[in-house]
Amino acid sequence: MSGAHKSGALLEVSGLSVDIPTEAGVLHAVRDVSLAVRRGETLCVVGESGCGKSLTSLAIMGLLPPSAQRRAHRLALAGEDLQAAPARRLRALRGDRMAMIFQDPMTCLNPAWTIGNQLEEIFTWHGKGNRRAAHDRAVALLERVGMANAAGRLSQYPHQLSGGLRQRVMIAMALMCSPDLVLADEPTTALDATIQLGILQLLAELQAELHMGLMLVTHDLGVVARIADRVAVMYAGEVVEEGPARTVFTAPRHPYTRGLIDCIPQPDRMVPGQRLGTIPGMVPSLVGEVQGCAFRTRCAFARPECAADVAPRHGPDAHMWRCVLPPGMLERAA
Amino acid sequence: MSAAPLLELRDVRRRYSVSSGLFAPRRTLTAVAGVSLRLGAGEALGLVGESGCGKSTLARLVLGLEAPSEGEVLVAGRPIAALHRLERSRLVQPVFQDPYSSLNPRRSIAEIVTQPLAVHGIGTPAERRDKVEEMLGLVGLAPRHAGALPAQLSGGQRQRVAIARALVLRPALVVCDEPTSALDVSVQAQILNLLLDLRDRLNLSYLFISHNLAVVQMLAARVAVMYLGRVVEEGAGRQVLTEPTHPYTRALLASVLTPDPMQGLPAMRLGTAFPDPLDIPPGCAFNPRCSFAFDRCRAEAPALVQREGGTLAACHLSAEVRVAAL
Ligand SMILES: Nc1ncnc2c1ncn2[C@@H]1O[C@H](COP(=O)(O)OP(=O)(O)OP(=O)(O)O)[C@@H](O)[C@H]1O
Ligand SMILES: Nc1ncnc2c1ncn2[C@@H]1O[C@H](COP(=O)(O)OP(=O)(O)OP(=O)(O)O)[C@@H](O)[C@H]1O
Ligand SMILES: [Mg+2]
Ligand SMILES: [Mg+2]
Repeated sequence: MSGAHKSGALLEVSGLSVDIPTEAGVLHAVRDVSLAVRRGETLCVVGESGCGKSLTSLAIMGLLPPSAQRRAHRLALAGEDLQAAPARRLRALRGDRMAMIFQDPMTCLNPAWTIGNQLEEIFTWHGKGNRRAAHDRAVALLERVGMANAAGRLSQYPHQLSGGLRQRVMIAMALMCSPDLVLADEPTTALDATIQLGILQLLAELQAELHMGLMLVTHDLGVVARIADRVAVMYAGEVVEEGPARTVFTAPRHPYTRGLIDCIPQPDRMVPGQRLGTIPGMVPSLVGEVQGCAFRTRCAFARPECAADVAPRHGPDAHMWRCVLPPGMLERAA
Repeated sequence: MSAAPLLELRDVRRRYSVSSGLFAPRRTLTAVAGVSLRLGAGEALGLVGESGCGKSTLARLVLGLEAPSEGEVLVAGRPIAALHRLERSRLVQPVFQDPYSSLNPRRSIAEIVTQPLAVHGIGTPAERRDKVEEMLGLVGLAPRHAGALPAQLSGGQRQRVAIARALVLRPALVVCDEPTSALDVSVQAQILNLLLDLRDRLNLSYLFISHNLAVVQMLAARVAVMYLGRVVEEGAGRQVLTEPTHPYTRALLASVLTPDPMQGLPAMRLGTAFPDPLDIPPGCAFNPRCSFAFDRCRAEAPALVQREGGTLAACHLSAEVRVAAL
């Protein structure tokens, strides 16, 4: 596999769309998404639930539900075209060179198998070593994700584990073959702050050690702020803003990004019974033709020109946003 | 009987027998190791703690889905096991952590939310339809979602369905196990505001389990912190989450990631002697990871006793040592 691809990115996604036929018509769940993850880099993807984050990850992995249709200008891992790759090649890449930590542990854990079997299987299937080596690696990884008595836990079944333990099994599973790229869909939502911190530190270490690329989907903007190199903000199937984490947090250019930041409950500052800021309104239906800025129906700054498609704007450090507002409009009032 | 709290746990324990290898003998896992709690009508108690410390097990015991190995779970003064199934579900309703497996994949959203009403014979079909539409609106789902199947919704949308289903019967106590961890911050904010509004309007009580301490503080006036099956600290949320007494609570708070892009990850304050419910250490269960542990902590389990400021804490450290350590 050549590293001689022009962008130098480990993962290249350009013009990705996912359409799903539904009774009401075609759902345009992912619309013209472009992303890149370099080696050693962390890209965090945030956005309203239902905006297409999971489908984007599944589309990259080639694991979409059968009814979904994927189109892309380019979809490449380390320069290798994933759209042209035959199914056999994809199976060989998945779990080995690129791995996914799924949002729902039960979709990828087999309830009838012990977790030890499942962890070892992925290692031996990819020819990384024998059962013994697989066992040792499984124990080592479970210990690193904070599981006491890891060797003893291997003989347990998924239903005997707490939500957070299951999630950690999945994280270990994704790391079994030391992949180049990890797509993590909400990997720490079921974990308490201390375990979450341990996992994030582990991922950071592995990134430094193996130069791994990480695409992390999360709702937790605290996590994003602390680990992201770049942030992509999705809304209604589209990336509405993308750029360096600091820029996106401190000088967002899309009103949806601003709204998200203002909804974060702040520890120490909460009072019992206090109401949080919200973004009023609802995400529009993405069934059928979608035109103009999808956020305009909920946007306090909407103008007539928002009804027409909004071309991406670009700033320094590859900061991209899709909004017609001039700079300075979204500065925090306080 | 009016003095009985809505929920009372008396030294509740739950053990599981687990296999630890093909030829190894089965071992006893203690998920809940003696918890006593009380919750009055209209009150909210937040439950936080390390992943795997027994919070969901405790929730299942409160819901009557499992029986305690020892101790008592009383709802409105009566043992939960003695309540008829229908009676129980009008008193206590769950909202679970996992919005995937808790919804029947073959039922439409409208059917899922209607089901509790139908089971209890509440309202005419037309009234039920109105009620369901109202509930879906309250949790932020569009009428077009009514006919959808769970698989056609995103994780967050499914969790809104679970909340609508739990609240449609207007129960007295809602056991929320990570109800908003699958939601984005804007939907989370809406759901939390909704839970607060419903509590005020209907005098609902919440047992609220979450890893998000800011969310717990917003929703619950009182907070209990669990570690390895026991409550190690309990008190007013503000007090516990800003001036913690127990070293575990302190480590937990130090690990919280505030959305500050100028800072990286904080250092981990806890050792890597991860807790093992198969092998609970003697003395204070937290002692192998506690940087202040001394001989007594390894020999004698500390009782939950009242401290300065009214917080209950299970820790042998004296107030002076604790202050000096801060
Ligand atoms: N198999 C499917 N059939 C029909 N619609 C689907 C299917 N899977 C997902 N969708 C729809 O596609 C949209 C995007 O879903 P996706 O799971 O990617 O959202 P998400 O951004 O990951 O949300 P969350 O943060 O809640 O996990 C949603 O509106 C969802 O209802
Ligand atoms: N049915 C079961 N059989 C065996 N062990 C179990 C069973 N259910 C739970 N456990 C164990 O009991 C302990 C407590 O689990 P529980 O689900 O209550 O934790 P939790 O505090 O909810 O964790 P999380 O925050 O990760 O959801 C865990 O070690 C778990 O593996
Ligand atoms: Mg998702
Ligand atoms: Mg749990």
